Amino acid sequence: MGAASHDTYIHRESVIHRWSPQLKLVSLGLLMFAFATVQQLALVPWMLGLAALLYGLSRLPVSFLRQRLSYPGLFILAVVVLLPLTVGETVLVQWGWLTLREEGLRATGLIVGRFLSILTLGFILLGTTPFLTLLGAMRSLGLPTLLADMTLLSYRYLFEIAAMLATMQQAMRLRGFGHNRQRWLRVNRQTMQQLAMLAGNLLIRSYEQSERVYKAMRLRGYGQRRQAAPVPRAASPLSAQNWVLTGAVLVAAVGLVLAEMRLA
Amino acid sequence: MHIPDGILPAQVCAAGYAITGVATWYSLRQINRKPDPAAEVPKASLLTAAFFVASSIYIPVPPASVHLILNGLLGVVLGYFAFPAILIGLFFQALVIGHGGLTTLGVNATMMGVPALLAYHIFQARHTVGQRLKEPTRTGVFAFLGGALGLGIAALIFLALIIFNIPAELNAGAEQTAVLTLSIGHIPLAIVEGIFTAMLVLFLRRAKPELLEG
Repeated sequence: MGAASHDTYIHRESVIHRWSPQLKLVSLGLLMFAFATVQQLALVPWMLGLAALLYGLSRLPVSFLRQRLSYPGLFILAVVVLLPLTVGETVLVQWGWLTLREEGLRATGLIVGRFLSILTLGFILLGTTPFLTLLGAMRSLGLPTLLADMTLLSYRYLFEIAAMLATMQQAMRLRGFGHNRQRWLRVNRQTMQQLAMLAGNLLIRSYEQSERVYKAMRLRGYGQRRQAAPVPRAASPLSAQNWVLTGAVLVAAVGLVLAEMRLA
Repeated sequence: MHIPDGILPAQVCAAGYAITGVATWYSLRQINRKPDPAAEVPKASLLTAAFFVASSIYIPVPPASVHLILNGLLGVVLGYFAFPAILIGLFFQALVIGHGGLTTLGVNATMMGVPALLAYHIFQARHTVGQRLKEPTRTGVFAFLGGALGLGIAALIFLALIIFNIPAELNAGAEQTAVLTLSIGHIPLAIVEGIFTAMLVLFLRRAKPELLEG
């Protein structure tokens, strides 16, 4: 949570930024699922190429992708290290007890290829669409009001509560928490009790804040009508560019699925 | 304990979304039966954010530390709001830190959310079962069960999905050994999660009992 920022949106002038949020959400979502269907190694370069092309069109900085990939990349690193050495029977190379196997290597190529391509599409979606716009698009596509309200409110208070926890943890450390030496592989009962109370206090503070928030919301009319915030509508008819982009991405998605079926 | 993008086949991801759709529909239907569902929204939302933040708390177990999932506790405290809360929390994790994934959001929500709903029902069973136990022991025992089973079942689903979906070339014997070894490895984690849930619930029972009304 410490590294979390308020919004992943990066303002740029690009066709992807100008793409209608609803169409972008549906098209990129379908392309992500098409990527997930890929089981043939021969399709991986096509998939990576498509993701790279869309990333290039979005004009998002490479540093944004590099920074975002660092955390989930740890999991993939484990896959890259483990699978080629443990899975499969066809031995490619052997150094003493270390054996590089073909099946494991192929599985790694597929997993890493799909992972990088899908994640890149996700970051294109989030980097080119402000969070509130994305939520508006989800609502217009049928996300229930209660779920949309909860998402919005949680997001609004997420970073405030994270700051509250950081302050509480700092106060604990200043009072000597974590300075005791602990025995290896033992869970200290007192430490656990203190952490449970820390989490409990965080819940109580959030609960009390929610009561004040609810009163303020009621005063502004929340809950008076069934429908909450109006669903945002497009101000102008969609440009031809929007439809061309949507069509191209959908054709690519269908093409990948068909190629996968043919090669399987 | 999140499954990232690219690991599972599209059919499994789609099935995850389908189950998530049904579970969300069921949860929302139960929530809308309450006298004033709108009044519960701010409480559930801020607690969702608090749970998301609290899941960053680590229990030190030298030389490493145990990361808490808190899905059982979420069920115990939020009741039917637990499933939407987990769905939103996982969406934020995919969005803010790239943890989990967008194609696997449904699978991850099912894996954590269904055991959370189960934990809620286990905790509610304290009103009808185990009347011989005195308070606060009864609340503590049912909170422990909710927390431990919440994580335990989620871990089993996670392991089954990972083992049966990644390497097709792995032989059946190796699969069974891996599932068994990893399942046994998760038992101490489920116990730690259960004890933490019980401690927290007993603290809430003393300090803010209305938070446990579900």
